[in-house]
Amino acid sequence: MSDAKMLLDASDREMSAAYMMWYRYSRKPAAVIGTLIVLSAIAMAVFAPWIAPHPKDVGTVVNFRARHHAPELAHLFGTDQVGRDILSRALFGMRVSLLLVLGVLGISVPVGTVLGLVAGYFGGWVERVITGLTNVMLAMPPLVLALAVSNLLEPTLTNAMLAITLQWWTWHARLIYAVSKSVAAEDYIEAARLSGAGPLHILFREILPNCVSVISVKTTLDAAFVILLGATLSFLGFGVKPPTPDLGSMVAAGRQFMPDYWGEVLCPGAAVLYVTLGFNLLGDGLRDMFDVES
Amino acid sequence: MQQHPMVAILRRLGAFILVLVALSVMIFILARVVPGDPARMALGPAASQAQVAQLRAEMGMNDPLLSQYLHYAWNAVHGDFGMSLVSQRPVTQDLAETVPATVELVLASVIFMFAVAIPLGVLTAQYRDRWVDVLGRLISLTGVTIPSFLVAISLQLLAARFWPSWPILGRLDHGLNFHGGPTGFMLIDGVLAWRWDVVASAAQHLILPAFALSIAGIGQITRITRAAMLENQRKDHVLTLKSFGVPERVIVFRYLLKLSSIAPVTIMGLEFASLIGNAFVIEMIFSWGGFASYGLEAILHKDLNAVSAVVLVSGLFFIVANLIVDVVITLLDPRQRQKGGR
Repeated sequence: MSDAKMLLDASDREMSAAYMMWYRYSRKPAAVIGTLIVLSAIAMAVFAPWIAPHPKDVGTVVNFRARHHAPELAHLFGTDQVGRDILSRALFGMRVSLLLVLGVLGISVPVGTVLGLVAGYFGGWVERVITGLTNVMLAMPPLVLALAVSNLLEPTLTNAMLAITLQWWTWHARLIYAVSKSVAAEDYIEAARLSGAGPLHILFREILPNCVSVISVKTTLDAAFVILLGATLSFLGFGVKPPTPDLGSMVAAGRQFMPDYWGEVLCPGAAVLYVTLGFNLLGDGLRDMFDVES
Repeated sequence: MQQHPMVAILRRLGAFILVLVALSVMIFILARVVPGDPARMALGPAASQAQVAQLRAEMGMNDPLLSQYLHYAWNAVHGDFGMSLVSQRPVTQDLAETVPATVELVLASVIFMFAVAIPLGVLTAQYRDRWVDVLGRLISLTGVTIPSFLVAISLQLLAARFWPSWPILGRLDHGLNFHGGPTGFMLIDGVLAWRWDVVASAAQHLILPAFALSIAGIGQITRITRAAMLENQRKDHVLTLKSFGVPERVIVFRYLLKLSSIAPVTIMGLEFASLIGNAFVIEMIFSWGGFASYGLEAILHKDLNAVSAVVLVSGLFFIVANLIVDVVITLLDPRQRQKGGR
């Protein structure tokens, strides 16, 4: 669509902010590709039982006659050390990755947002406590904390999720805090307060809408980091329990047979890269679309 | 005026010490809420109830939590983290032997990061939207998104396939009969011992893991450098230089680069957290045998004393790195030097 056409179109319709955004989005190939990758990854994870060519191979199936097959028509990604189809397992592995993202961001984004809003708006000792807490948490390498917490408890997916969440909210809190603090100084916030708006109204109806773009960009980029972190955790052996397929632990398993059967390492690894690439492209696209400063 | 940067840095130091104290409290609590009795774990399942109770009393585990923490903090400040269950040696001794290897690896990869990312950032900004830019952006995007274990394994595969004699494990050839020196840095110890074969071998062993560790940072720093260069190109003083006919080369390297390296150096400080985290993976894949390998082993065996020391030292790494970053930025950015004086 050309610019002139867009202007014509817009004169019919009201030139809404949403339409402008859609226009900017649709002109960014990277953002569109990113969306397609993310949607396809979600579809693969949701429909894994129906689209996987060998859904049985997800469990404790052993088929030694078919072990270490190179990629072929029946097994597009080849087979692993006990003859299970790597493609099928990778599809199910996507489920674990995306569940982890859902769990971690589902908790840490709301928590971080609320704490950031509160710290930025109220100031005083609330601000000092929350920013102090974020400074402490940020000094910890996420992977080290996640390893320590999840293993001291018990290395399961839920605990890994818990361990990552324990720290992840701080990044969001810091970001929203910065926005909230600058917005809280605006005149219209003062006006709202003078006309009798309560703190809840100001926090969630006046300040929060200013944070939506920042939150969505950050959340999308974070999804990629959480997937990387989760894959790394399970690569080191701190993820889901063995029969459940997981991309990180598949790479670790394939590593034992490395120089000879390199496909067993690279195929699940490429699956991780596919998803993280998608979220990154989408996040960068969103950033351009909302025109957010990094 | 001359004192002000010092004061600012001292203030930051104070804040960092507070962070460290808070971190140690967190780790202490973490170590206490863990299910399982450290005394029982130390003695094994064969010990009697009475023995366990006695050891608990000896370990001070019946005291109030606050006095336990103060005891722990007092010892930690004096460099005593207790005994490691796995190695049966003081944790501090284990750390002293393993930390230099990791520092060597991390320093090498930081050097890689800046050596690759800054020129790449400058190039992509200078040739914006041309093929150099597209290629550079692709490299940085891949760097940010690829799992570091995949990079490490791919490097090993490539080396094994195309250059079988290139070392892909450990820090040194075993045949060299060299067992470290006073500093623990293989390269420096090799120089000190006047063993150039050791230096050459250590450098060979260092390149692949350091490169694998630096990939994520290269991606991040290239992006930031490019963005900063593009932003600063539009600044008035740069336009002034251009209109005076100052050569492009001089503008880029004398004026723009210094101004634009503030942002990447700042990011470097934050990057350190993930750098230490990734070191755990890289050290495991390359059998590096440093602090991160030790930490991983400790975590696997639920070696509480060692784990809390490892977590604390990881935090310390981050804090020290950020202090250095603060100093570097004060040197780079005249505005920071002025701030205190106003």
